Amino acid sequence: MSLVLQGVASGVVTGCVYALVALSLVIVYKATDVVNFAGGELVMIGAYLGLLLLLWFQLPYIAMFALVPVAVFAVGALFDRITLRKVGGRALAKHVDLVSFVVATIGLSYLLKGAVRVVPFTEEVRRLPPLFSGPPVFIGDVVLQRQDLAIIAVTTMIMLALWLFFERTLLGKALRATSQNARAAALVGVPVSAMRMAVWGLASAIAGIAGVLLAPKLLMTPDMGAVVMLAFAAAIIGGFSSLPGCVVGGIALGVIQNLVGIFISPQAIAVTPFFVIMLVLLFRPEGLFGESLALKKV
Amino acid sequence: MTIGMKRLAGALALGIAAAGVAVTAKAQTPPGVTSNEIVIGLFGPLSGPLVAYGVDPLNAAKMVYDEVNARGGIHGRRIRLVIEDDKCNGNELVGVVKKLVTVDNVFILHGGSCTAAIAAAQEYVLREKVPFVMLNAAGDNAVFPATRYMFGSFQGTQRVYGSALAQFAVKDLKAKRVAIIVHDDDYGKANLAAAKAVVERLGGQVVAQERIPPAIADITAPVLNLRASKPDAILSGAYPAPAVLLAQKYGEFGMTAIPLLQSTQGMPTPSVYAKNVGNPDALKNLYHTWSFNDIADEALHKKWVDMYKKYYPDREPGPFMVTGIPSALAVVDTLQRMGRDLTREKFVEAMEKLNLKSDVMTGPLQFGPGRRDALRSVVVVKFDGKTQKVMPGIFAWNGKDGN
Amino acid sequence: MYGAPPPKQLAALGLLVLAGFVLPHALPDYFLYIGNLLMMYAVLALGLDILLGWTGQFAFAHIAFYGFGIYATALLNMRLGIPFVLGMPIAAAVAALIGLLIALPATRLRTVYLALATYAFAECAQWVFRTWDSVTRGPDGLRMSAPQIFGYMVGNDRDAMPVIAIILAVMLGATLYLVRSRLGRAFCAVRDSEHVAAASGIDVKRTKVLAFTISAFYAGVAGGVYTLFQSFVHPDGLGVWTLVLVLTMIVVGGSGTIGGVLLGVLLLGVLPEALRAAPRGLLVWQEFAYGLILILAIMFMPRGLWGLVIYRLRRKARRGPPPQAVPVPALEREP
Repeated sequence: MSLVLQGVASGVVTGCVYALVALSLVIVYKATDVVNFAGGELVMIGAYLGLLLLLWFQLPYIAMFALVPVAVFAVGALFDRITLRKVGGRALAKHVDLVSFVVATIGLSYLLKGAVRVVPFTEEVRRLPPLFSGPPVFIGDVVLQRQDLAIIAVTTMIMLALWLFFERTLLGKALRATSQNARAAALVGVPVSAMRMAVWGLASAIAGIAGVLLAPKLLMTPDMGAVVMLAFAAAIIGGFSSLPGCVVGGIALGVIQNLVGIFISPQAIAVTPFFVIMLVLLFRPEGLFGESLALKKV
Repeated sequence: MTIGMKRLAGALALGIAAAGVAVTAKAQTPPGVTSNEIVIGLFGPLSGPLVAYGVDPLNAAKMVYDEVNARGGIHGRRIRLVIEDDKCNGNELVGVVKKLVTVDNVFILHGGSCTAAIAAAQEYVLREKVPFVMLNAAGDNAVFPATRYMFGSFQGTQRVYGSALAQFAVKDLKAKRVAIIVHDDDYGKANLAAAKAVVERLGGQVVAQERIPPAIADITAPVLNLRASKPDAILSGAYPAPAVLLAQKYGEFGMTAIPLLQSTQGMPTPSVYAKNVGNPDALKNLYHTWSFNDIADEALHKKWVDMYKKYYPDREPGPFMVTGIPSALAVVDTLQRMGRDLTREKFVEAMEKLNLKSDVMTGPLQFGPGRRDALRSVVVVKFDGKTQKVMPGIFAWNGKDGN
Repeated sequence: MYGAPPPKQLAALGLLVLAGFVLPHALPDYFLYIGNLLMMYAVLALGLDILLGWTGQFAFAHIAFYGFGIYATALLNMRLGIPFVLGMPIAAAVAALIGLLIALPATRLRTVYLALATYAFAECAQWVFRTWDSVTRGPDGLRMSAPQIFGYMVGNDRDAMPVIAIILAVMLGATLYLVRSRLGRAFCAVRDSEHVAAASGIDVKRTKVLAFTISAFYAGVAGGVYTLFQSFVHPDGLGVWTLVLVLTMIVVGGSGTIGGVLLGVLLLGVLPEALRAAPRGLLVWQEFAYGLILILAIMFMPRGLWGLVIYRLRRKARRGPPPQAVPVPALEREP
């Protein structure tokens, strides 16, 4: 029994990381219709930037934690400004846009991975120091690291902050309006392209924070962006358009993976997220929290 | 259209003529050998995800050849290298091999850091009868079953690591119940099979065998499975990132009384591994295999690093640098023993008689009829996060376990 | 636009087959290998483009069908002794059948959902190739025996090239006919607007399912081609990277156009070989450059290189004699 409890507890923590990355993907998708295949690489450069700031510039941890989201915000916003605005500015059929957008983000993912890989330092696995260190915490038979608790706390805080932002601030409302109906939003005076840039920046910053949180736990290689597929699975479980759905989806996925590892076989862990994606899309394409797919934007 | 056809016909005629010339030239001397030159095709992953296994090792191999040239070459011939990037990708590596053999006309092939990619080229080199010496791949699937033209595994196969850890666990640590965790891939399979065979041969029992995906994000479940099996020792064939995750969880779950034995691929630089694990407790009972003498012999390590820095002043050598050296030493040794009369068949015969006791490796580099894996003995090192202590004894694979 | 393709295009196919018979006597193995590889990618990319560029369905499952094609052709040959001329069509038909089964639920999905569902399917298939040890030899990879064609062993690039050239010519010819067929027009109609297509009496769902099936058939054929000139298959080669490569070929060349796809295959297939001449220190930048090329291509060549070429030709045409424009569907939508 303690075996299962421990598996669930660790799964919740890992799931929170998946959820953070999934949040970043869903915010972008809702506002700009772009499926961001570079989401994982934004996590990766967040982590490596953190390491750079700590080791090279010798900054204190708290300064690094504040600077990384800013820097990754800039990467995302610039990518939207330079590339996506040009790609999306063309009046082509909708499907062409989707393909072009996806290919552009795949391009970004190779660009970022390639840029990190030319530094020989990244040839070896690295680890970022954890936010909190110290002896592990026991809850009954279950062991968790302090960093694990920090991950849960930060995820909760980001979730709350996002909720407040989208519900209570004018900027947040403008963003929501843009994502619901860009044309109508433009008519009432929302600067739509600035909004898109802000969304890309915001989503990238979240990915960057996820990188800093994840790096002590998952370790750093230029290929750590592969975690994006787990985030996609989390987002799909949650419906791909719901922010709370992401968190529930992420945690569900983290727990399911561990239960599969314990009860079926660790060999099957790798295929679990993809199996889950297929099952969800087969039986409940709108996810657990998503709005109906039939609801179309005007 | 007619002009196009004429041009095409002209180009074809030229091509056929060139091919004819190439064939007649071939008949006189073996390809890639002239009176003052031996051409070797050298390749490895110089870009892409596995670049870490390619750049430094290839540089190191080149350095060995450069040193030979600086001392006047081999029997009056200098070594000329044609260097290519294979990206550790099968399709790409096959292309590289075909280019080196049919366009650059090299004498032998020396390269490859990934076993699966090398295996893709095996059929071709056997058919064309070109000797292929692997750069630094473990190579299990390319050397078992042994084939005439492929030589490799200069730092030992996965069978050697699995067997060494199992011997150490059962004989030296007196473990009865052994748990094994490896990757769900060809290396993991070979490592597991050998370790299991040795444990059972020595009267122990394998109580858990976990095969984990190489890109695992949360290693909790397999580690819990290991713990539940109540082992006396845990053998791991994990790669660098999962190896660290494993040690972290093992520390976290209070399993540190159980010895943890790690195959060499999991900790290319032990100090970086220790830093990544971050928990000194988890390293109290840690052992790992090692194929090189640089732990016991600091001076040796310094000698190679200094030489590397001399040739590549703006590059700090990474952990895999030394892995490029033994295969190059073996090629040089073979060419030395052959004298001036070089053919590919004679190279194969001479390589087969290789018995090189180099100061770099923990054991002799040997081939033989039906044997194409060079190194079969490694040492086991105890590492507490700061100091490394080579445990007494050399651990040899018997050539059978796990086949 | 209906009816047989212009004789010039058919003559080009004949030339392709001729080259397939002549070149093996003139070129070293390396060039033949690259040629075979490119012809295989061409079949793969043409198939993906039917789904992506013509029908507008953004699906990732292509690589799985390619894998089925390879393993099925090789295993039919090795285990049951079924010769290539029979084995490859069977394998391609199996791939098409699986494509059909996938299409039935998948065509209910759109955009990101379709992309992710098919991506997940491709990953699951790769996992099966890796895990089903007793059949695929799993992570050890499968050593394939040389295929037989009418009792004649195809053991190397030289023997394989004429066969592959014939297969590519057949597939290209089929594609040329398909573009001009009623079905081909229906594909494009579904892409441009499902509503309009439905209103003009096209069964949208059936059309999409057919696009999936035909596309999977092409991938299966490409898999069969792989067994002709390669001797080893490993599940690692059947992952996202190969799919992204084919996708890039289509996008850089010009999706929805046969000429564009072929141009993209040629360009991205030859590029890494051309880069071999680059200084060694720069090789490590390849991944970065690849990403940059993708981004720039998407930004500045929305219709791919082929679009640029055709645009230039047309502008010239206004001054000079009218060139024979290649009749491909996407060109009818003016930029």
